Amino acid sequence: MSRSWVQDDRGSVMVLTLVVAPLLLVALAGVLQLGALRVAAARIRAAADLATLVAVNDQDDAELARSGALRLSSDAVDVAREYFARELGLSSPLLDRPSDEIAMAADVAAYPSAPAYDTRTGARYDRPTVRIAAEVPVRTPVFGALALRPVTMLHVLATSSPR
Amino acid sequence: MTKALRDDRGLATLETTFAITILVPLLFSVLEFGSALERWLAQDAATVQAARYAGELGGDAPDVRRFLAEELRAAGIDSDRVSVDITPSRVGWREPIRVSLSSAYPVSIPFLFSTTVPLRSSAISRGEVNR
Repeated sequence: MSRSWVQDDRGSVMVLTLVVAPLLLVALAGVLQLGALRVAAARIRAAADLATLVAVNDQDDAELARSGALRLSSDAVDVAREYFARELGLSSPLLDRPSDEIAMAADVAAYPSAPAYDTRTGARYDRPTVRIAAEVPVRTPVFGALALRPVTMLHVLATSSPR
Repeated sequence: MTKALRDDRGLATLETTFAITILVPLLFSVLEFGSALERWLAQDAATVQAARYAGELGGDAPDVRRFLAEELRAAGIDSDRVSVDITPSRVGWREPIRVSLSSAYPVSIPFLFSTTVPLRSSAISRGEVNR
């Protein structure tokens, strides 16, 4: 019996593979971009954590000697911002803006004595605290090629207090 | 039409082979690069901890190297294959110290290629030793 090409299923797997392969390649590219974004997010979080830790380690020595109380140094905000910029600078190829610019735009707050209430988050701090809240633009070129956002904005919030 | 063209014996094998040569590399790409990213995250985390410790000890001390080796081992990374750079080797109070790690992760995709992906991690901390 002769069969028409519609009924003929020879080569159907090959056609299916050729159709599905580009979709799988796109999925693969998306997965890799998501992985890279996850690495970038972890780095930015670590950058903010480390910056607040460095700032918190900088205690007011005179106050500590006088009263024995932990109190942040007067330049804690500047130190946190400076180190946030330094840490972000190590990941600059991943970022869409210069690290200095991102750090300058970050909301850095120091609460030198406790208790204190965070004006941004409403959190109560029972120890002197440094807090960084920032929006960090990360390059996601694969997402851009897939008609999604070429730059993904990551929000980071980090707080540190001495023990 | 010739007899050879009409004969569909072995066609399924041919099609399966064709599909496998496309699908297997894709699957392995996801697995291999996922694993590389996971290792990169672990290396980054170890670097941050080492930078904090180096700041606390005031520089490149044997304890920092030992700590780093333990952190990497705990993350399943062979510390002998990771190059570590701590600059400057000695810092004073409030001076920045940078810890950099570099390693190569082998990636092998069947039917396509085998290569090594460089994984670099750095973190900066501040000296806490008042000399």
